[in-house]
Amino acid sequence: MTMTPTSSTVVLDPTRNVPGVRAPGFPDTLHAEWIKFWTVRSTFWATAMLFVLGAGLTTLVCALAAKDLASGAAGESPGSFLTWGMMIAQITAIVLGTLVATSEYGTGMIRATLAATPRRGSVLAAKAIVVSSTLFVVGTVTAFAGYFAGNWFLDREGVGLALSDEGVLRSLFGSGLYMAGLGLFAAALGLLVRHTAAVLSAVLGLVFVVGQMAWLLPGTWGDWVAKVMPGNAGSGVGTAVSFNPNLLGPWTGFAVFAGEVALLLVVALLVFRRRDA
Amino acid sequence: MIAAHGLTKIYGQKTAVDGITFTVEPGRVTGFLGPNGAGKSTTMRMILGLDRPSAGSVTVNGHRYADSPAPLREVGALLEARALHPGRSARDHLRWLAVSNAIPASRVDEVLDLVGLEAVAGQRVGKFSLGMGQRLGIAVALLGDPPVVVLDEPVNGLDPEGIRWVRTLARQLAAEGRTVFVSSHLMSEMALTADHLIVVGRGKVLADCSMTEFIADHAASFVRVRSPQRGEVADLLRRWGLDVAVHDEELRVQGLDAAAIGELVGKNGLLLHELTLVRSSLEDAFMTLTADSVEYSAHDMATTAGTAR
Repeated sequence: MTMTPTSSTVVLDPTRNVPGVRAPGFPDTLHAEWIKFWTVRSTFWATAMLFVLGAGLTTLVCALAAKDLASGAAGESPGSFLTWGMMIAQITAIVLGTLVATSEYGTGMIRATLAATPRRGSVLAAKAIVVSSTLFVVGTVTAFAGYFAGNWFLDREGVGLALSDEGVLRSLFGSGLYMAGLGLFAAALGLLVRHTAAVLSAVLGLVFVVGQMAWLLPGTWGDWVAKVMPGNAGSGVGTAVSFNPNLLGPWTGFAVFAGEVALLLVVALLVFRRRDA
Repeated sequence: MIAAHGLTKIYGQKTAVDGITFTVEPGRVTGFLGPNGAGKSTTMRMILGLDRPSAGSVTVNGHRYADSPAPLREVGALLEARALHPGRSARDHLRWLAVSNAIPASRVDEVLDLVGLEAVAGQRVGKFSLGMGQRLGIAVALLGDPPVVVLDEPVNGLDPEGIRWVRTLARQLAAEGRTVFVSSHLMSEMALTADHLIVVGRGKVLADCSMTEFIADHAASFVRVRSPQRGEVADLLRRWGLDVAVHDEELRVQGLDAAAIGELVGKNGLLLHELTLVRSSLEDAFMTLTADSVEYSAHDMATTAGTAR
């Protein structure tokens, strides 16, 4: 093995730089996290699945339900169906958010990450921006694709909705927002719990099982508990007309959900900053 | 330079590092030697700010690691070779690290070349052998061309050629004036690599001296002499100014070689039953030094069986 040392003299200066480089800042941390995010296969597969499930299932369900919607036999509003697939696609958003945090702990990568960037707040912020911006863009694009394809079938039966109809545009961008929020929620919990399977079970269980069971709780308080469960509060913004009439208003619900996400992120940050890597 | 002062790490009930103080000087290879569980890796993690000390402090070039504006360009570390995602390629792993510390992208190919991984740079690291993973870890350590290099058990999983390469590399980095801190649980490896030695056991510093001093202090050899006239032989040798210690039936003599001792005893008409040069190896010296501090020692079969009964 031949050695090719890159420098023959070393100046022992604490602020010494490799010749020709500048001091790194937050944009570099962000760029590094962006590279990490897109250089593992799980990211591609999860975003691809989000699109296939989100747009594909919306199209399929609209095609199958169009006749019943037109005849009124379905007893539901066509507006509820235009982002139907996103209900399932949210699983992939949760997976993606979880992996952003837990894969680092599962592999020991976290030590490399924090050795490179000891400012842990910056690491968390960079991860949050990468996962939420990706999910917002992919979620919104998926919702639009599902709308255009699904609405084509509804239009044929005369029950299609225009983009300018109430709630439609909001539900498409809202789907992206909800996906981004779910990803952040899972990432924050991932940073706290650090085990992929545990975090996935917890978030999926909370959104799909606990959130639904909560509607069975008795009394006004039970009703309110159900309303503010993350999945129930946050998902309303992503549907033009919700299946569930008991949900909070779209933006009120999303504000509650955003508050829950923010709270979990703050807790994650506090723990992450103190804990041994 | 790395300076630890009263550095302590307590995990629950267990004190992993117990108030250790040491300095690692530039321009030489400092070996960090101790049995498994002695607190070496914990100390190294605290140097890099990954673990928070329970008490005391450790600084690199006079400040905390976390306060470095660009840590990878100041301290290069090989912590665990597997501190990476198996699904990412070697080049991508180095690429994000370079970006995070504003290191030019050209440096990635330089270090891949340096460690001999250029041909497999595009492969996912999950497929790497232990040795290749270790080489990638060393590439990571050298990425920022850092004045301080910290290597935790760098020869683990390397073949003999790789071990020699790491040894040469460490010596070369030190010769360039860098601070080189290398941990190992193998004394034999350290003897060939390190100029200075810090020996730890159960979280405490047991020795902090140059390799030459360590050898002189701990690896002394002696001549074992057995004789039916033990007392007379001992007196004779002492009269000749030799250092004689009595251990049960034998004499341990220092200061003259076996042949000369034999001649001396013979000329004086005394009988000898045994005359053996006993050379204590560095490994033995290290074992003796750390004997009380070994965390997970294998128990004698007989003893274990005895307690089980």
